[in-house]
Amino acid sequence: MAEIDRSLVGAVSAPFVVEVERGAIRKFALAIGDLNPLYRDVDFARARGFADIVAPPTFPTCFRPPEEPPWFAPLDRRRVVAGQTWFEYERPVVAGMRLTCAIRFVGVDDKTGSKGTMELLHQQTEGRDEAGQLVFTAGRTTVYRSAEQVAKASLA
Amino acid sequence: MSRALADCAPGERRGQDFPVITTTQLAMYAGASDDYNRIHYDQDYARSAGLGGVIAHGMLTMALMTRALTDWAGHDGMVRKVAARFVAPVRPGDVVRVEAVVEAREETGAGNNVTCTATAKVGERTVATMDATIAFARR
Repeated sequence: MAEIDRSLVGAVSAPFVVEVERGAIRKFALAIGDLNPLYRDVDFARARGFADIVAPPTFPTCFRPPEEPPWFAPLDRRRVVAGQTWFEYERPVVAGMRLTCAIRFVGVDDKTGSKGTMELLHQQTEGRDEAGQLVFTAGRTTVYRSAEQVAKASLA
Repeated sequence: MSRALADCAPGERRGQDFPVITTTQLAMYAGASDDYNRIHYDQDYARSAGLGGVIAHGMLTMALMTRALTDWAGHDGMVRKVAARFVAPVRPGDVVRVEAVVEAREETGAGNNVTCTATAKVGERTVATMDATIAFARR
């Protein structure tokens, strides 16, 4: 049963600005257990030619709009699991960047797996610098499991 | 000991073992990534979601896989693309091992691009797979 609102396919969220902060990068690097000095040490990063400390490649996962987009907001979080994610970089994200991001609702696929039916929600995010130049593109496929499947598994 | 990724030919491999995943790490990752889905830190909620208990953020697994490649690449490598597919959940107490292999090496005007695939495993069980391209400037 289709539950995700497909009439919104193709819609783009309102643009939102992310100020990339040193503290946020360091906290993220610590959480993933990565002590790479590029992510922590300003002098080290500058000596390697970067303007400031560099963000780990998966860091833009925390670039979130102030409000969840209307195609995602109604989903039951219990039924959401990660499917696929990708990041493509024109250049690395570094502290001090001010990125304008927007999320596009790419589409939905229906899938029947061994555990039941699910919908696959595809979204894509772009981040551009203050000159309007593309810095990164990220894609995310979220698995939305059927209520039935989740109920059955929770009783197992 | 594997060679630096910049010098590797297709078929060369490297493995990396990560410290055991803890609930503390999941709480830290929730805060650092601003992902507060309770399936990652609330046991009762995660059970009601049919997951049998809390599971790690897929993006945390992806961060470990990416690190296996950036550690191999060293500071001269720049990630052009990383793409992960999540196959099975990772739970607190699990030890993730990432095995990476060079698939292709392509000369570009500026240097070369190395394409890799990687597999994250807990024991014998595959939990995620990855494709990645790392760019190296000519030295």
